[in-house]
Formats: sequence, C-alpha cells, structure tokens
Amino acid sequence: MAAGQRGARGQVSFERERGVYDLQVSGDVAHVVAVVGGEPGRTAGIQRVVRTLADEGIPIFLIKLHRTAVSFAVDGGRVPEVERCLQAIGVDVRVRRDLALVSVVASSMRDLTGVMVSIAEALHRAGARLFGVGDSHNSVQCLIDGAHVEAARQELRRTFHLESPHA
Amino acid sequence: MPEVVVQKFGGTSVDCDEHRRRAARRVIATRESGRAPVVVVSAIGRMGAPYATDTLVQELRRIDPTSPPHPREMDMMMACGEIISTAVMATTLQSMGCPAIALSGGQAGIITDGEFGNARILEIHPHSVWKAIERGQIPVVCGFQGVTTVTEESEHGAITTLGRGGSDTTASALGVALSAQAVEIYTDVDGVMTADPSMVPNARTLAACTYEEVAEMAHQGAKVVHPRAAEIAMDHGIPLWVKSTFTDHPGTLITAEENLRAEEHQRIMGVTHTGKIAFIRLEVENEEDKPAVERAVYQLMARGGVNIFLVSFSPNAMSFAVTREMYPIARDLLDGMVVPVGAAPDARPASRFYIFKFLEGLDLAYRNQRPLLRALESFIEVVDVPGTAFENGTMVSVIAGRHRQVPGVSAAIYETLTGAGIPIIQMADSDMSISCLVPENDAARAVRLLHDRFDLGREKTE
Repeated sequence: MAAGQRGARGQVSFERERGVYDLQVSGDVAHVVAVVGGEPGRTAGIQRVVRTLADEGIPIFLIKLHRTAVSFAVDGGRVPEVERCLQAIGVDVRVRRDLALVSVVASSMRDLTGVMVSIAEALHRAGARLFGVGDSHNSVQCLIDGAHVEAARQELRRTFHLESPHA
Repeated sequence: MPEVVVQKFGGTSVDCDEHRRRAARRVIATRESGRAPVVVVSAIGRMGAPYATDTLVQELRRIDPTSPPHPREMDMMMACGEIISTAVMATTLQSMGCPAIALSGGQAGIITDGEFGNARILEIHPHSVWKAIERGQIPVVCGFQGVTTVTEESEHGAITTLGRGGSDTTASALGVALSAQAVEIYTDVDGVMTADPSMVPNARTLAACTYEEVAEMAHQGAKVVHPRAAEIAMDHGIPLWVKSTFTDHPGTLITAEENLRAEEHQRIMGVTHTGKIAFIRLEVENEEDKPAVERAVYQLMARGGVNIFLVSFSPNAMSFAVTREMYPIARDLLDGMVVPVGAAPDARPASRFYIFKFLEGLDLAYRNQRPLLRALESFIEVVDVPGTAFENGTMVSVIAGRHRQVPGVSAAIYETLTGAGIPIIQMADSDMSISCLVPENDAARAVRLLHDRFDLGREKTE
C-alpha cells in the first residue's frame, strides 16, 4: 500500500471491505435490573437509580428502560457497590454476573441490513443468551453469558467469514 | 513537488457563478501559498436544480415508470451531474487566470468494483492528476464516481457511482492516493457544529474532533462528513478539515485523538437528532420461549427488508425500533404471524403456538388466523402476543467519546429530559454516544436542553 509515502505514484488501495470485519470481546461485565415499580413513580424511581450511581462514581452502560425497572451493564468489579448503594435507597436489585461484551465491528453499520439477525442466529447456535445490545456507527455490542464467549466467537467468525483465529 | 491539498466543494458551494468564484478564490489562495490544490466537486445544486443528480435521474425514470432503468445506465446518468460541475469549475478557474483541467473519476484513475450505485474504490492510479500538477494546472476531479477496470460490455470499463457520501469519499481517497497534506471539505457551515444551528441558536463550531466522533455524529443524524470518508482518512492518517466556502472561519480539524491538544478537544462534543421512528413492543410472557420468539421476529424483519435498532429485552417483552417509513411493513409482517415453539429447544412437535395480535383495528390477519388455531387448542397451547407501537418518535443523541468511563452522563441526560417533562420512550448507548427516543414534537426542545446541560455553546477554555 502506498499510503503514507509522500509523492508515491503507484497503485494505492485503501477502502475497507464492506460488512463485518472484526470481533472484540471484553469480559467481567454484570447486568443489573433495578426494580423501581410502575407508574406513577417509575420516572422518579429511575431518576433516583441513575443519580445514585452517578454520585457514587459508577459508570453504567447499555441502559434500557422497562415498565417497572431500569436495566444496565456495569463492570463486574463494581457490583458490590451497585448493590450496596441501590439497596440503601430501597431499590430491589437483580444481578447477573460473569457476562461478556462481544462487539461485532463493521464498516458503515447503518448501511448493512440483517446484521442483527445474523448475530442473533449465531449467538443462538452458540447457546449464548443475549441480555443487552448497543450499536454505534461501526459496531453492534452484545452482552452475553461469559461461559459462551468462545462458542459465540467461533459462530460469529463463521457467520461473518472472519478467517483470522485472532479475530 | 509541492505539498498537495485536496479541496472538495459540495453542491451549495458550486450552485451559481458567485459561489463558484468564491470557491475558486479559495483554490487560488492555496496555490498562492505554495501548495498544490487538487479540487473535487459535487453536482451543481440540490434536488430540483437542473443539473442536480436527482433531477438527472428523473430523466431516465420517466421513460418507463413501470420499470427501473438498468443500474449501469443509471450510474452513467448519475455521473453527469459531477461531470458538468467539474467542467464548469475548471472553466471558472481558467477565467480567473488559473490553469485548470477537468478530469472524470475514470480519468483521475479511480478504479472501483462493479456494484453500480454503491461502488467501492479498489485502486487509484493518479498519473493524470500528477501530470496536471507538474504542468502547473489545477486538476478538478469529479466526485462520487469511478470506473470499473474491464467489463463484458467495455474493455475500458463502465462508469460507476460511489453511493451516499460519494464526493467526500472521493476527496478522502484522492488525499490518500496523493499523500496529501490535508483534505478540506468545503460546505455552507463553518465546520462541525455542536448541534443543528437551525434548532440551537448558540450551537458552536468545534475546533477539532476525532475521526470516530465525526463518524458517530453522522451515524446519529448530523449532516457532516460521511463516515466512509472519515474511515479512509483515519486508516491512513490524513487530516480532514471541514470549512465554509463562504466565511473565513478556520473550520474543524478531524484527526486522531493523539494529535489533539486537550484544549482543542471536549469529551461531550455534540447533540444530534435523527429520523422519524416507530418503537414496537411485543409482550411475550413466557421467558423460556422468548429467545425463540425473538429470533422468529428478527428473521421476519430481515426477510421483509426491515432494519431494526434500539433492540431491548425485558423479562416479559421484546421491543425494537424501525424507521417510520418501514413501520407499516413491519406491522403487516407481524400481524397474524404464528411462531411454533417447543418446550425444549427444537422439540417436535411444537408445544406452543404464539400468534401476534398487532394493534386493534390493524389486526386483520390475526382475526383471520386466530379462529383456525382455535381448533388446535385442545392439543397445543395458543398464546396471543399483543403488540403496541409508539409511532412518532425521534432519536436525540449526545455524542460523547468514552462516556462509559465517565459516571453521570446518562444520569444527566435522563434528569434533563424527564425534568423538563419530555418522556423518554427508550434509551440506547454505545461507546461513542447515548441516545434517547423521544416524541418527535419534543425533539427540538430536547436538543436545546441537552446542549445547554452540557454547556456546549461555550468555548472550552482550560
């Protein structure tokens, strides 16, 4: 590739392959469901949960709002703090530990159709239940059971034709 | 050989004589600074303008409204807008005493694959661009197009177009091929802004941001550099600038994070809004069966060409968003859909049938199918899956790189919107952004409130 060679006049090839081109995995993630009850009071309850966690300095992600609860992911090491501070404000907490965040990385994610289906199918074949999903311009992030990470990685690699065993 | 600077001018920068002369003066100023400008232009004007791409395409479509034109001929037509614009721009430069030469994408050596309408650049052989520079001419290159190497029909290849963001992609790609000092994207705003200025009067132009941030902003609805162009520049370390053709504002530098000084860069850098969105919720009480039902729904949506996003899972429901344009299709697909589910995975025969009942009055298929299933109810369990939809949503997003390492961003967003009485239908986040689905008629207020909450209208001073 001639890129970076100032003044180079040879052939240059550079645009990324379309579609999924990488997988990334990070472990030790927990999924927390904080039960706040239905309306009225649900909005205020969710507000108390997110404010309490912010004041405790605990970053949360993959936040989802439900009819009687708010769920989110958190670094596994912060679970005791999450339980302590939310129980202190009277919120019932259900925690699922030992999860992993698998990121499926692609070029121009929004232009691709059916990626979510392919991911769900691959995870199903791997026996990995999906607890949360997030997406950005170049990735879909899936929160799955940590015990199924290797199988999920293999199935996703096969599904998206990622050859490298290191992907 | 002087340093090359690729300067790309969008539709509004080349839509009349006066604007083209302004653009040309920027090109001439670059040349006078001792650098070698290479110009990339889009088609003249936007939809409705006589030489705009959409206008030209209508010429083909109207020939036989019952049958779409062949993609090859469509691409040839679509490429005309940039060819006209390039010839006009080169002639404008010549008329101002500046030697210039117009080059089509193919003449500039841009080789693509054969995917008409959405081609991918494979190679660039910029010999003719270099030769023009050596001769002291300014190359003016057509954006948005390339040529295949050889096809069955033509040994010289076929004209292709690059799809969405095509001219930005051409500029970035040429920047890489020419090892340019920078790629400058000229538009009608001063740079990448903290919010849509038509919505937020105190929206500010960012001094700098990263390639990832600008790609995420585009993903979340901001009309900035196309992610494809940012990706090419990022992969090859070429600095991108977004500038105005019409003002002397320095613009926004887009580069890698390590190249940015702390005072230039802010963690929360903008608020965007995008789309007319419908949010669908399906009640599936049996948690054990829910994964099978979810998969069936995903498959159905994919087969129907419906992209889903904002997917969320609750113990007794699944929900997801679709664009409002696709909502009637999604609704019709779901209405009356039957999913057989076994008590054990892949059990035969199925022990339960789930049937989707989608909205009162819009459940024609359900009403036809349900009586048929009634006959089976002595053998298997038939479960109704009620569906509801919130049809008038818009996504408002805060672009915040690495917010997952910073506590409190989500709390601030939630408090700001709900505190102002704006209901949040659902939230979503990635490592680059946090989004809220809110009622469409609250979108402008939500954007303004979040812009103020994160103090984005104020220049960063530390």
